[in-house]
Amino acid sequence: MEKEAAIIGYAQTPYEADSNCSRELLVLQATRAALEAAGLKREDLDTIVTANNDYLDGRTISNMRLVEPAGSWRKNESKVEMDGAFALLYALTRILSGDHDIALVVAESQASVYGGILPGIMMLDPTFDRQRWLLNEVSGAALQASAYMDASGVSEEQIAGVAAKNLDNAAGNPLALRSLPGADAAKVMASRPLYSPIRDLMMAPLCDGACALVLASGKAAAKAEKPVWIKGVGFAHDSYLTERPLESMNSLKLAAGSCYAQAGIEDAASQIDLAEVHERFAHEELMSYEALGFCGPLQGGAFFDSGATRMDGKLPVNASGGAMGANVDCGAGLARVIEAAMQVRGDAGKHQAKGVKTALAHGQTGICAQENIVYVLGGE
Amino acid sequence: MGAKAAKDPVPRVSIPLNPVFGWTVGNWMENFFDGMKEGKILGSRCPDCGRVFLPPRMICERCFAKADEWVELPATGTVQACTEAAVKVAENGDMVDLENPEIIAMVKHDGADTCITARLEGADASIGMRVEAVLNPGAENVLDLLAAYRPMG
Repeated sequence: MEKEAAIIGYAQTPYEADSNCSRELLVLQATRAALEAAGLKREDLDTIVTANNDYLDGRTISNMRLVEPAGSWRKNESKVEMDGAFALLYALTRILSGDHDIALVVAESQASVYGGILPGIMMLDPTFDRQRWLLNEVSGAALQASAYMDASGVSEEQIAGVAAKNLDNAAGNPLALRSLPGADAAKVMASRPLYSPIRDLMMAPLCDGACALVLASGKAAAKAEKPVWIKGVGFAHDSYLTERPLESMNSLKLAAGSCYAQAGIEDAASQIDLAEVHERFAHEELMSYEALGFCGPLQGGAFFDSGATRMDGKLPVNASGGAMGANVDCGAGLARVIEAAMQVRGDAGKHQAKGVKTALAHGQTGICAQENIVYVLGGE
Repeated sequence: MGAKAAKDPVPRVSIPLNPVFGWTVGNWMENFFDGMKEGKILGSRCPDCGRVFLPPRMICERCFAKADEWVELPATGTVQACTEAAVKVAENGDMVDLENPEIIAMVKHDGADTCITARLEGADASIGMRVEAVLNPGAENVLDLLAAYRPMG
């Protein structure tokens, strides 16, 4: 995919435990700021894709009141009921169809409104797992972590180390909800135990917030300042969590494979300068190193220990703090794309890594990362 | 927005929203529960690849086919994943501390290719541990027919 579509503007609201503001105003704030950053007006938008969720909003057709703040009044608009990183995929296909030049993607949710991790329980098989009330996103992730630790030999301290790295990085991100400058594994290990090995600080915090991105066709992007090109995209779905091996992220591996084929990536560890991965739980970041080909199978712990993924390493991962800093449902994956684009542009401020020309962004949906999407982004 | 409006929390009201769903467990799960009432553990099998689903599933995603053969499986199996729960999820979605931690395990029955998630009796668990299902054929609530697993002697 060479110079066919580019990100030309983006914005995120601050991520807060309770935004004390309506979701419509959050979306308006993100959309207007993203359009302004792209040097465009509402009139310039050809197509809009929103990412939000009926259950999280507590109403069906949850995009019905986003017509006004998403700028979609009397325009071509539809909704993706998953992470905004998947909404971006639909915007991309619309641009690549040749019918549209400018697309807006906007994602939102407010965890202060819905009951914590209850929506994750509603994802479960309703005839059995949901009724038994044992599985949820956290206990599911804990089971995944146990299988991964058993297969790889990764320790709780290594998982805690990943969380500490991201929480320390989040201190450089002014929009993050949670940060712990100077955090170490011991600090994370001292946090509240939930489902072993998962503790409070190893779990990405749900929050309120919105983020928006403007995507342009090659023709329209040529006129924009510092376009960030989409070099490749890949996505894949896997089986329900009790019906697949949990110790590896096979659908992420497949997604990365098709993305890399488009982007001309043959050796991810040397060709990718930075990655933003959607780690809803710290161990998932280690598993993603393997699935993304940054290291060999079951080598995620050793790769982390090498320091490669730290801010000053050869392949910083989650310089923004990742989802450990803020995990807005429907938005955290799109936020990874935005953060990766910021890094390519050199616009990430205090959390800017050095020399980022090619960046990877990852989004996920479903318990134990059932569905995954990967983008490779590049500059001029 | 005035300084006061920015500082004061948004007033909250609770709006009753109780949609009623008429879910049934479906023929496959009904067969599974009916089997357990007779002390039998029934899984479904894909006629194409022979993959055995427990709990039974209607469709094999690999063969894109109906998994409509039935097999009786032993009550024994192996722990594939396990976690010690220090908390449980309350009805409002908060995670509240459990007085006594409990073990949740994913168990693959001998002869099955997928897992059942359930409580594991006892305080210790590890992956690879041999366990057996605790069956209660007379249970009133079908969910209690297979209440838990216990380590094998």
